[in-house]
Amino acid sequence: MKKKQLGLLLAVPGLMLAISAQAHSDKEHMGKAENPDCAAMSTMDHSKMDMKDPVVMAMMQQCMSTMQHGSTEAESKAHGEQMTNTGKAGDHMQAPSQ
Amino acid sequence: MIAIKKGSCFKRLLVMAGAAVIGGVAFLYSGLYSMGADDPHYDVTTWALETLRESSIVRASQDIEVPSDLSSAERLLKGGADYNDMCAGCHLKPGKSQSDFTLGLYPSPPNLAVISRLDENETSIDQRNFWIIKHGIKASGMPAWAPGHDDTRIWNMVSFLKRLPDLTPAQYQILTARGKSDVVHH
Ligand code: HEC
Ligand SMILES: [Cu+2]
Repeated sequence: MKKKQLGLLLAVPGLMLAISAQAHSDKEHMGKAENPDCAAMSTMDHSKMDMKDPVVMAMMQQCMSTMQHGSTEAESKAHGEQMTNTGKAGDHMQAPSQ
Repeated sequence: MIAIKKGSCFKRLLVMAGAAVIGGVAFLYSGLYSMGADDPHYDVTTWALETLRESSIVRASQDIEVPSDLSSAERLLKGGADYNDMCAGCHLKPGKSQSDFTLGLYPSPPNLAVISRLDENETSIDQRNFWIIKHGIKASGMPAWAPGHDDTRIWNMVSFLKRLPDLTPAQYQILTARGKSDVVHH
């Protein structure tokens, strides 16, 4: 029994190591760009939102262009400086989906 | 005569140890071990493997320096998008309780949208998560993500993991979507 356990301890990590190599190509997760469902945000209770909460700030950042119709450019700028300086689009990897 | 008798106890031990090694090697070649992911370990094996894993990760991650801006909105957005693309299939997301991976992998990937380790020291959780994401976990389905992903991207995911258990499905969707919301209007 004891040596069987020992065998398991050696065999399991040793043999499964070979299997654990999972290939990951960047393209694998770059294709399917989903758009944020910002309509859902209007149904959230805004009075309960803490505007200093990074989660809320991040959602605003994702949705500001839907919420402020029109001058998206200026709005993005203003919001961008207020919160964080770089939006995530146009950064790494994701080609803007158009 | 006397000298042989004195050494015999030690000799016997040696013979037993040798037999154990030979027995172990013979077991490896025998084919008796069940390799299937659907055939769980004995409890003692599970305990040994988990203890090995946790002790190793604590030791390896204890000196990692955690960035001070982990809670930033920018990190959440970047980490969220990456999490959704690379991790949610195995580690699930709000509103999802199982996938082919959680059902079939052994060990099963934990649901990172529900576990929170509030009882533990926050810094060591962040260090642990960073280390696990970067290096992966040997002999499990958890890959090392260092190839192709720099430390900043990994920290972004660590940042996202801190908030993931609080998110509703709608919040999760907005945070992790890569597309731009204004595309809808064009
Ligand atoms: C192919 C499935 C798979 C993918 C994809 C995957 N993981 Fe894992 N992950 C696992 C498995 C399985 C474990 C558990 C390993 C164990 O129990 O030893 C795990 C464990 C973890 C843990 C430790 C959980 C804990 O508290 O014990 C973290 C953190 C983690 N993964 C993060 C990630 C992140 C972040 C990503 C995406 C970059 C990711 N994983 C992608 C399968 C996966
Ligand atoms: Cu990736």
